[in-house]
Amino acid sequence: MSNGRFILLACLVGVALVAASLFVTNEYYVFAAYFVLQYVVLATAWNILGGYVGYVNFGTTAFLAIGLYSAAALNKWLDLPIPVLIPIAGVLCGAVGLAMGYLTIRLRGVYFTIATLALSVVVQTFITNWDYVGGSRGIYIMRPTDVPVFGSYVAYLFFLMTVLAVASVVIARVIERSTFGFGLAAIRDDETAAAASGVPVLRLKLVAAAISGALMGMAGAPLPFYLTYVEPTSSFSLAYTVNSVAMPLVGGTTSWLGPVIGAVLLGTMQQAMTVLISSSVNLLVVGVLLVIFVIAAPNGILGLIRSMGGKKPDPETNPLAAMLVTEKRSSQ
Amino acid sequence: MTIEASAATGSDLILDARGITKRFGGFVALNNVDLAVRPGERLGLIGPNGSGKSTLTNCLCGALKTDGGSISFAGRAIDNLSSYQRARLGLGRSFQLPRPFHSLSLLDNLRIPLVYAVNARGGTHLTEQQIRARSTELLGEFGLGGKLHRLPGDLTQVEMRKLELARAMATDPTLLVSDEALAGLSHSEVNEILALLLALNKRGVAVIFIEHIMRAVMAFSERLVVLVAGEKIADGAPKDVIADERVIGAYLGQ
Repeated sequence: MSNGRFILLACLVGVALVAASLFVTNEYYVFAAYFVLQYVVLATAWNILGGYVGYVNFGTTAFLAIGLYSAAALNKWLDLPIPVLIPIAGVLCGAVGLAMGYLTIRLRGVYFTIATLALSVVVQTFITNWDYVGGSRGIYIMRPTDVPVFGSYVAYLFFLMTVLAVASVVIARVIERSTFGFGLAAIRDDETAAAASGVPVLRLKLVAAAISGALMGMAGAPLPFYLTYVEPTSSFSLAYTVNSVAMPLVGGTTSWLGPVIGAVLLGTMQQAMTVLISSSVNLLVVGVLLVIFVIAAPNGILGLIRSMGGKKPDPETNPLAAMLVTEKRSSQ
Repeated sequence: MTIEASAATGSDLILDARGITKRFGGFVALNNVDLAVRPGERLGLIGPNGSGKSTLTNCLCGALKTDGGSISFAGRAIDNLSSYQRARLGLGRSFQLPRPFHSLSLLDNLRIPLVYAVNARGGTHLTEQQIRARSTELLGEFGLGGKLHRLPGDLTQVEMRKLELARAMATDPTLLVSDEALAGLSHSEVNEILALLLALNKRGVAVIFIEHIMRAVMAFSERLVVLVAGEKIADGAPKDVIADERVIGAYLGQ
């Protein structure tokens, strides 16, 4: 599928989602779907650095919170609309991603991961002590009373998150098929050999870190308006970090489709469990699933499908599996 | 021992490394090593294990920073260039243990150097079709034409070595540093890879051939350099070098 056709298809899916949200009478479903789409953005963003380049980032909450708090602060100060806050959060978090990358990305493996964890702690400490946004007391966000076009504010937020989700999936897919994406794959497989083949390793890693950080930050910008009250402890919830790592791993990390599958699957499951059982059982289930997948299916659901039988599925009898197999990285 | 190459002026050399020194903590891995290579030359580099051959390769190709000395390549100082920039200039290397890109098909393994080294060099720009044609052609030359879409994990050890060389050649180097391309191969496989390296050299690619198999070294090299404990102890015609007392001493442990 060419990039143009993919973008068209992704936009159609987005339009269908938004249209569906306008006809749903129970607002809870839109509220829950927003949550799932937010994870589509976070998991896709995580995967650009974690999956494509192989640098495991445990700092998702740092980027999400910078996006969230920059939006909250700018809303309080200048009363800017969300569509303006989103790109600002993106630029800010892209810069933080670049800086973090510059300082830490020469570290390999577990050392890089520890450094990203440290970033979360630093950002959390900073925000907890930032009085303008309420410090540890938190801050209330007044939703604007006039909602453009959409009937309810939640539907409007859902529309924004759909745009972000479509955009991040398109970005991930375009990267995957590009020369840039092949360079990232080479780095993931062997940095020294990549450099010996002319790949500017450091520069490519920094660009990936900046894009990944920017997308995470943008996902955070509408969040204060969704929650209406934010405070550091829940903003830095472990759930964001664990989920954004678990979702791509469960779905499969080498393709744009993996994080989407993981986010929809785990995100929906967590929403259902929150309603049906309890909100505290969420992380436990994600953790158990993560362990099962890491042991039994390290290449995620996509890897499982691809390895089934070893031969190409027949598009006539099994169109989904056939599509997944042809979605495998290829230079064609 | 005469040192032919150092008599040549800098402009006649494709590689001119002088006084290369590398320390790891208190351990001196390379001590003031000079190495010069003429365009199209076949230079054998030998030495016992731990003598600094791979360290020298890493210093020349930019994977390690040197602690002293200077390196110029094709008349240009490359001391401050990182390894990807050296690859783009035409300094290619193959690794002692093959390091293929495991998640990419054989075609895409070669696509990386074609896109990132050849196309980034300036001058000619290969189109998507030309990249495909060139990588297919190279894999064919190295006897991997039937496995274009396979992953490196499907290859045998000798095929992996061929892929390693093919990928190094895809950078279109003027000097190839081949680090023990023959280790662990059978007699006939050694001959096969040796023939490939000779064919590459015929096209004008200078080769630094690092090897332990003396039969192959003697068959391949026009000139032989011996490293022992980080120092160059001999440099000259292969026949003279292997008759040198210090070389014999180093190998027999006297």
